[in-house]
Amino acid sequence: MPLENHEKARFLLHRSLVEGISLEDRHWLDAHVAQCAECSQYADLSTRAVQALDWFALELDPAAALRVENVVRCRAEAMRSAEAHAKSLWIGTAVAIALTFMGSAVTWHFLAWLATRWNFPSPVWQIAFVAFWLLPSLLLAFLPLFRKRLSGEDSDSNGQTV
Amino acid sequence: MVAVVTAFSRVAEPESQCIARALRRRDSEFIGQMVSRYHYRLLRYLVYWTSRREQAEDLVQETWLRVLERARQYNGSLRFEPWLFSIARNLAIDHLRKQQPATATHRVCRGDEDGMNLPAPDIESPFFAAARSEDAKRIAAALNALEPIYREALLLRFQEELSLAEIAQVAGAPVSTVSSRIQRGLSMLEACLGGGADAA
Repeated sequence: MPLENHEKARFLLHRSLVEGISLEDRHWLDAHVAQCAECSQYADLSTRAVQALDWFALELDPAAALRVENVVRCRAEAMRSAEAHAKSLWIGTAVAIALTFMGSAVTWHFLAWLATRWNFPSPVWQIAFVAFWLLPSLLLAFLPLFRKRLSGEDSDSNGQTV
Repeated sequence: MVAVVTAFSRVAEPESQCIARALRRRDSEFIGQMVSRYHYRLLRYLVYWTSRREQAEDLVQETWLRVLERARQYNGSLRFEPWLFSIARNLAIDHLRKQQPATATHRVCRGDEDGMNLPAPDIESPFFAAARSEDAKRIAAALNALEPIYREALLLRFQEELSLAEIAQVAGAPVSTVSSRIQRGLSMLEACLGGGADAA
């Protein structure tokens, strides 16, 4: 029997285990293995190698498995509550900013009306509006986010993560 | 009615989509079930990588915590297992890299180009502990001597029954490389079994 046939058979044997072979190749391989003792032994060896891999069974420690499960569950819960908290903070901040701008528009018109009535110079009341109304309002709106950032940094520096 | 429709859509939904949704929602009940379901497979995979049972157990937990952190990266379009194993693999490699200077070394690659050295397996290998037959004991000896990339390829193909494309996704290597790794690993195991048979 030509040497190439044995090489082809071994190649197809591996290929059939690793990724599968065509029906035509399968027929050829079966026919060859049936009449070649050496390749038949090799095929048996390959099958035994794969089966032996299946015979490895690690002993599971149920306590360890449960411990991992509990840790992961707790982390998932913590992440969910942290994300819900962050989401509510962002929504609250967005609402606060929207209300700040709406309130500022009303206040702006009111101050403009007062300034006209009492002959205040425009720059004076406009600067006062920005300094005593708009900036404090925006700072208050963003305060929860700043606090979250600061508390996040604190917890990181303590080695904890949320 | 709404509950019935929701339940039906959940049944009809592919499992990977279900998992992706549960991960995004941080559904601790579902995630707990997944941890329990994949625990053995993940542990076995990491034992194949590290050759050390205790390290593998630590890495299982780290893997799940990493899964939670990266939950948004998994969209459910592909199967969950390759994604899970690729996270475990990267953690195992990072872990082994940190240990590298202190121990004897084996050569292995992440992908194809980034070479690194890995610690040699334990003398009391978990493979020997798990071997239940004479063949398996001979295979255990061969596995112990085998480089982790070949062990990994064999495990993913013949125990996890992943496709070549999925193994390529896990290993970050081309399909052809994965195929040749499996064939080479198989040849080494066959040589070991054949040698044992000859000796007997």
